[in-house]
Amino acid sequence: MKEQLTELAKRAEADYCEIRVEDSRQTSIAFRGQDLDNVQESHMFGGNVRACVNGCWGFVTFNDVSTVEQRVGEAVRNARAAAAASVEKSVLAPVDAVEDIVKLDLKSDPRKVKLEDKINLFGAYNQRMLDKSGVTSTSLRYFDKYTRLYFANSEGTWLDREAMDMGMGGSAIARANDTTAAGSTSEGGRNDFDRFRGLDAKFDEAAKNAIEAAQSEVVEGGSYTVVCDPHLAGVFIHEAFGHLSEGDNVAEDPRMQEVLKLGRKFGESYLNVWDTGLDVGLRGYLPYDDEGVPTQKTMLINEGELVGRLHSRETAGRMGEKPTGNARALNYRFPPIPRMRNTCIGNGPHGKLEDLIKDVKLGIYAIDSAGGQTNGELFTFTAGQAFMIRDGKLAERVRDVTLSGNVFDTLRNITGIGGDFYVQDGAGGCGKGGQMPLPVSHGSPHIRIKDVVIGGK
Amino acid sequence: MVGTFTAKLATQAEAFEMLQSDGRSLRVGFENDRLNEIRQGQSSGISIRAVKGGNIGFSYSSNPEELDAVAESAIRMAPYGKKYDYEFASESKSAHTRPYDERCGNLNPDQMVAICNHIKDTVKAIDSEALVDCGVSGGIGQSRVVTSNGQDCGEMESSFSFSVSLRLAEEGNFVQDYRYGIANEIIPEEKILAEAEEVAREFQLARKNAPFKKGKYPVLFAPSALSDILMPIAVCINGSTIEKKVSPFVESLGQQLFDKRITIVDDPFIQEGPSGGLYDGEGVPTQKRGIIEKGVLKGFVHTLSTAKRCGHEPTGNAQRGVSSLPNPGLHNIVMAHGDDDLEEMLKKTEGGLYISQMLGTFTSNFLAGQVSGNISLGFLVDGGQRVGRVKNCALNVNAFDLLKSGVIGISKKREWVGDRYLPYVLVDGVQISAR
Repeated sequence: MKEQLTELAKRAEADYCEIRVEDSRQTSIAFRGQDLDNVQESHMFGGNVRACVNGCWGFVTFNDVSTVEQRVGEAVRNARAAAAASVEKSVLAPVDAVEDIVKLDLKSDPRKVKLEDKINLFGAYNQRMLDKSGVTSTSLRYFDKYTRLYFANSEGTWLDREAMDMGMGGSAIARANDTTAAGSTSEGGRNDFDRFRGLDAKFDEAAKNAIEAAQSEVVEGGSYTVVCDPHLAGVFIHEAFGHLSEGDNVAEDPRMQEVLKLGRKFGESYLNVWDTGLDVGLRGYLPYDDEGVPTQKTMLINEGELVGRLHSRETAGRMGEKPTGNARALNYRFPPIPRMRNTCIGNGPHGKLEDLIKDVKLGIYAIDSAGGQTNGELFTFTAGQAFMIRDGKLAERVRDVTLSGNVFDTLRNITGIGGDFYVQDGAGGCGKGGQMPLPVSHGSPHIRIKDVVIGGK
Repeated sequence: MVGTFTAKLATQAEAFEMLQSDGRSLRVGFENDRLNEIRQGQSSGISIRAVKGGNIGFSYSSNPEELDAVAESAIRMAPYGKKYDYEFASESKSAHTRPYDERCGNLNPDQMVAICNHIKDTVKAIDSEALVDCGVSGGIGQSRVVTSNGQDCGEMESSFSFSVSLRLAEEGNFVQDYRYGIANEIIPEEKILAEAEEVAREFQLARKNAPFKKGKYPVLFAPSALSDILMPIAVCINGSTIEKKVSPFVESLGQQLFDKRITIVDDPFIQEGPSGGLYDGEGVPTQKRGIIEKGVLKGFVHTLSTAKRCGHEPTGNAQRGVSSLPNPGLHNIVMAHGDDDLEEMLKKTEGGLYISQMLGTFTSNFLAGQVSGNISLGFLVDGGQRVGRVKNCALNVNAFDLLKSGVIGISKKREWVGDRYLPYVLVDGVQISAR
């Protein structure tokens, strides 16, 4: 494989060429209510060729690896056709060629756990939620995915890389007074199946949250001070700032470059934000990105000041900056684009939850995330659960709390950052350009934000 | 080959269903005003559901040559799988035909580049500062479902799509707007350029901000935003939420749940609809079916499994990719037009909002009817005109209440939003939160 792919990539008549071949096997288990809804084994095998000529790309995917030579020709032809109408020069930032073999280093291997045992483990969690009075239904899904990935490019990089990815998400659905509400829990990671054991308390909590949320009122709309738990704060920094930091937003947009000029003040001096591929065991761990670039910890905001962004080789080259190892592809059917890995807000000086809420007269404590979306400037995300804060204390539970805001205002409006940093992985992932769900992580301590718009009655 | 294989599978499994699909596609994409990529895709796959010991096992491979390995894996999975308490599709032929445009499989990249250039030129003639991303793509494919109950159905599929996205980042004000279209035949260039012109004009309007305070307002939902408001209905008529009894509509068939002017049909055969088809993902012939007729709930959408468990007839609504199990889903959602003239509706929206796009509504509690999110593109209406964009405001409405008692008017005009053909709807008394 190595000789064939490396030779083909080098021989390609293009400014740059890369070939990716991917072989993955996934086991999936899903429960819905009382049913074991799905037990599935999947096998995906295929590859792609990406060629660049004069800054334009030809990209071809295939399932039949015996046709790879023909596909290289097609990718080059497409890149040349695109380049015919272009006066650009290819500007991929230079990187050193690497040759590496990355083997799995697992604490506990999901492939060594019998399928029956996995079904029994997750089935018991599902039943635990169903047994709670008031829970009308549940959903629980688990997957583990082993991937072997071969990568060769025309500059001599060769990678033979193994990866494992695991995730689990469970939800209880409760109904009361004609209202339905959910409570959820999740777990995930790359190197340890045992993290899925001993989670009874988390599933009990999910069921309790669903039951109580169904009995609570919809939040009253308005502008509030919101304290976010580490999970929601992690989703916030991913949605609200991480996407904005991705190089393809900026590289060819002079006005955006003005707005996102390095050195610009984005928040208070205690705001530190980074994205890293180096956290072994997290779903956002990535030794090499999908252009074969070693990953790193990339500071984005240092003491409130913008200091970096997330690059592919192309976006780094266009901006005269260094690649950061953020070019990622969901699988061989997609080209790599700048994406996050593990995106974090660092610890701040404001203690714990109690310290952050004690001066809040009327606010909301928002916990966990039901997902979110951004369009660059504006964002929306929904809390998994929420409580009112009244006179510095946690008060009644409210439901359907959706936080909306403007990225720039909101970063400036972070008025407190706790010291209880935490990363919680799950089964979901990030979506961009039709590539979803890409495994990412996010972490943060508790944070406090003023003037957040909450939609409500 | 398939015949020999299925004959062998019939001896190993008590029942089976095999789904095969393959396709190829071509896309030309512009980013940041320039041609960025020509992308060519080829995909294939096979999946099998096999019954052994009364339970169903499922397996998938992207390599269609791995028939035996997939069958073996599905049979091995069966002891753990769901109970086979319904029947895989039996022999039944669709009486309909499906539009198929073979030109979608023979697209010329040069012509696609030319269309993208024309889109860019159209936008730039209206707003030279807008940064344009756009793309044109097309492809063909085929799928086949074979079951042990005698069904063997296949169909050819063609698709064509375009997208136009405009953005401009200015200090304190990012403006974005987009349009897209999908069809099962080539969309004429003049139609694409008309959409490009329309989005460019809306984009220009969005560059001007209008002051806005929180409160209750009339809201005119454009079809693109109405699509979000209809999500709770789509979720709550879905067979999986009915089967699990988490939908509030479980006992509501025949009841007047919405305004009498609201009629929604699931139509897999409508000519322009991109999500049509003769058979669903389980090989069941599809049907045109009323979901809501004059405000009365008329039907749910089912797979074979959810139909059986609910005691309903199958509806031909199983949706799936080749690598996944079927779930109930709507084909093309067609909402009946109303009697109202759009200009008159705008006049009635005086002082209120025209909402074109919402952000993040998919995270809402749809089972409770809630739709919440940021109003990513909304306009203040003054003197019967959209006068400027309102920002930093959000809504959280109960769609069931809104569509029952809040509707003021429904437009004669309808537009396609992906696979939904929807009118403009004016509602009253919507609480808008703002900073």
